Amino acid sequence: MSRLRGMTLTRMCAPYALWALHFLAIYSLQGLACARQLGRERVAGLEIMTWTMWGLTAVILAAIAWQAWRAGQIRRALLASDDAGRADHARRLFMVVLCLLGAAISALGVVFTASPLAMLQTCA
Amino acid sequence: MSPATPDHTIPTPGDHLRHGDRLARLERVWANGPGLVGQLTAVNHSTVSMRVIVTGFAFLLVGGLLSMFMRLQLAWPGLQVLDPQRYAQFVTMHGTTMMFLFAVPIMGGFAMYLVPKMIGARDLPFPRLSSFGYWCYLFGGLFLYSSFIFGSVPDTGWFMYTPLSDSTYSPGKGADFWLIGVTFAEIAAVVSAVEVIAAVLITRAPGMDLRRMPLFVWAMLVTAFMIAFGFPPLILASILLEIQRAFDFAFFEVARGGDPLLWQHLFWLFGHPEVYIIFLPAAGVVSMVVSTFARRPMVGYTWIVLALVATGFLSFGLWVHHMFAVGIPLLALAFFSAASMMVAIPTGIQIFAWLATLWAGKPWLRVPMLYIIGFFVVFVCGGLTGVMLAFVPFNWQVHDTHFVVAHLHYVLIGGLMFPLFAGLYYWLPLASGRMPSESLSRSGFWLVFIGFNLAFLPMHLTGMVGMPRRVDSYAMELGVHWLNLLSTAAGFVMAVGVVAILIDVALCFVLGRRGVENPWQAGTLEWAVPSPVPTYNFASVPQIESRYPLWDNPEVVAATRRTDGLLGEAHDDRRELLGTGIQSGRPEQVIRVSTSTWLPILAAFTIAILLAGFISSQYWLSILMLVPLIGLFLHWAWTTGDRHAPAELEVAPGLRLPTQAAARNAPGWWALVVTLLIDGSLFASLVFAYFYLWLNAPVWPAVGATVMAWRPALVALAPLVLPLLAAWLGPVALAAGRLRTAIAWQVVAVVGGAVYLGLHLPALWAAVGAPQVHAYASVVWTLAGFHAVHILVAMLIGGFTAMRIRCGYVDGVRRLESRIAAAFWRYTVGIGVVTWAVLHLFPRWA
Repeated sequence: MSRLRGMTLTRMCAPYALWALHFLAIYSLQGLACARQLGRERVAGLEIMTWTMWGLTAVILAAIAWQAWRAGQIRRALLASDDAGRADHARRLFMVVLCLLGAAISALGVVFTASPLAMLQTCA
Repeated sequence: MSPATPDHTIPTPGDHLRHGDRLARLERVWANGPGLVGQLTAVNHSTVSMRVIVTGFAFLLVGGLLSMFMRLQLAWPGLQVLDPQRYAQFVTMHGTTMMFLFAVPIMGGFAMYLVPKMIGARDLPFPRLSSFGYWCYLFGGLFLYSSFIFGSVPDTGWFMYTPLSDSTYSPGKGADFWLIGVTFAEIAAVVSAVEVIAAVLITRAPGMDLRRMPLFVWAMLVTAFMIAFGFPPLILASILLEIQRAFDFAFFEVARGGDPLLWQHLFWLFGHPEVYIIFLPAAGVVSMVVSTFARRPMVGYTWIVLALVATGFLSFGLWVHHMFAVGIPLLALAFFSAASMMVAIPTGIQIFAWLATLWAGKPWLRVPMLYIIGFFVVFVCGGLTGVMLAFVPFNWQVHDTHFVVAHLHYVLIGGLMFPLFAGLYYWLPLASGRMPSESLSRSGFWLVFIGFNLAFLPMHLTGMVGMPRRVDSYAMELGVHWLNLLSTAAGFVMAVGVVAILIDVALCFVLGRRGVENPWQAGTLEWAVPSPVPTYNFASVPQIESRYPLWDNPEVVAATRRTDGLLGEAHDDRRELLGTGIQSGRPEQVIRVSTSTWLPILAAFTIAILLAGFISSQYWLSILMLVPLIGLFLHWAWTTGDRHAPAELEVAPGLRLPTQAAARNAPGWWALVVTLLIDGSLFASLVFAYFYLWLNAPVWPAVGATVMAWRPALVALAPLVLPLLAAWLGPVALAAGRLRTAIAWQVVAVVGGAVYLGLHLPALWAAVGAPQVHAYASVVWTLAGFHAVHILVAMLIGGFTAMRIRCGYVDGVRRLESRIAAAFWRYTVGIGVVTWAVLHLFPRWA
């Protein structure tokens, strides 16, 4: 039952918040690299800052995936419960679906935003 | 009607004998006062929102008139309709009016009128605040336009770019009128955000859980959160620039370590979400109109909610796409280019869901639907040119040309005005009880649609061949004179269309054919109210079980008009709303709201005088006006509670609920949460400004300034522990019924705040020096000042709460005000610690 209660508005919005965090972080890191020469040394062909931004992208994508996995767990628990047809049940299912769709669109947003890293130098 | 007189008009199975008496009582309790005084003091959401809408349309006409002069000037090369300075003034005032005095407030007005009716509520939870917002909006707009009287009209564009708008390049008062007037008017937007969030979260009709909310309500909820996060950066930017202009601070001045691009970042941090702050409510209108005229529920309800929420987030990642030409590194531009294209996905989801609904339904082509078709055509074109502009190379090519003018008008007129007019005609029978003229309204549509496209389509071409925007003329050799003449002529056709629409709407209220209730056979709750709409909306708060209650259970209409349902009885002659659970929509509390009062107009008027003193450099007047202003707000706060109110009330036979002072999800609590979100966004913007200036400064702290030594810095920080303790232990003492201890903790918090200020500010002065010396000192003092103001407000709240406990308004059961005071202290200490770290730790590390 506690698993069913885990679906809150905050959790529903978490994937988007992770997208926002990623966006803010890579924009700030890029600014630091260019204005303060932070992480400009090259390692294995790429600047440390580029590696950092790729790493951050991976971490954020993992966090979004974890949110989606948790939402999936709640969804499975809801589908397996005996309360189908009750208003509470339908409402939670609605929020879980919103969370899963939000995770998909946020992951797409993170990939889309990070894709210039593969094409441009940090301070091009 | 006497209690003994039976009312046979609405037979009910329950307590129908007292129906007439109860209705009469509701009428009396919710009525505005008579005459002009009644109008000035009214706070009811229907009355206030109608004023907002009428004022919004008045500003539309004024802004439109300015644009007609601009179009005349551009009709042919070399014309002298407006001299260059006047042209720049008209460009500035046109943009400012349309964005700040028309687009945002009018959608706020629609929301204020519709949201309570759609969610089955009697009013918004803070009626006085709504009224205050309206007067600030009106006075702010008049303040801005009074610049014409004083011959100091702003002329630096609606974006007020620095350094053009600083005191060197704009030495008059024009920029001050803009900064102060717009910020004053923005209070209305911020207030509407607080209202809408609290209303939607906790006053929905029982049964209206999150998956049953009308899509307009979802759109307004997301928009309100966007306002809460999006407006503070602009408010902060305006404050910083005004401080620089008035007191010679140095945020944007390169010679003293400032950076003019800081303005652009803060402005567009607001400016781009602003587009969606305008569009999302309009999208909500489209969702309502489409499902009604397709005569079927919306296809993909969940997808549309997803799109609304996603747009709300993604739109904050686009601001730099307004700054592609300012010299930012390519990789950063590419991030924003990608995000700009990404936002097309949720917008596309909505458009496909609307088309699918029309495809699956049986569309009914009445006037509101006509405007929706116009919206599809115009907005999709605007969206496509938006994707074009998201490409950096193309953006550079057409930067600051009329292509951008065409794009933004396609987006804003397509994304706002067509849905707005659709909504206007859709809900006109509800507001007026009459039907508009079909022929005049159709003529208005075609004039606007044809006029708009002929005016703005050619601008894509004139822009691509290089016609610059914001310039009062162009060379004949450019070969765009015929296209401009066409734009001008068509602009007038559009203007005639807009005037025809507004005349049609005005005539409808007086001469329109009497309509039937719910003439479009819509399914949502706002159509359940009787015509003419009573000030209390619903005699009984409805209980609903689906997204379209009027389609699925027509009985709900009759149930809302009986007085034997929820809150059918007005207890103690007080205006009452029903509070429900945030997610579940279950009844949780009774919310008692204010009746008509002078407080909002007096408070707004006092602020107007205060600002007039500021702009005329009569600072003594501004400081003097703080006394009545604080007095008014204290009186306002004092009259929120009722020490004689019962802790709980019977809202229906067998159902007793607590009043809001004793309830967990009280509206006051949510008002605080939203206010702190707004304030937190303001604070975050200020911290961003600090780091942005550091990023571009060669030396930090600046030459001549030092960082405060460890010992005084730590000694200054220590007293903040006292409010933190008080915020923790005060409510504990109150809950245990130890009222004297609770009062003592409030006093301890106040003393702690005072000691902090007394220790911190003098030590800071010794280390940093005057704020005019360098951007470092400017931003340090602004951060410290921001926190000091919060300490002062928290001390005021602490003293107020102590008095309320002493006078019996707050006790072990009614703890709302104590919770609010504690939360405000926790927040103040929190931002204090961050401020302290930024001021005293970061410079040591950087």
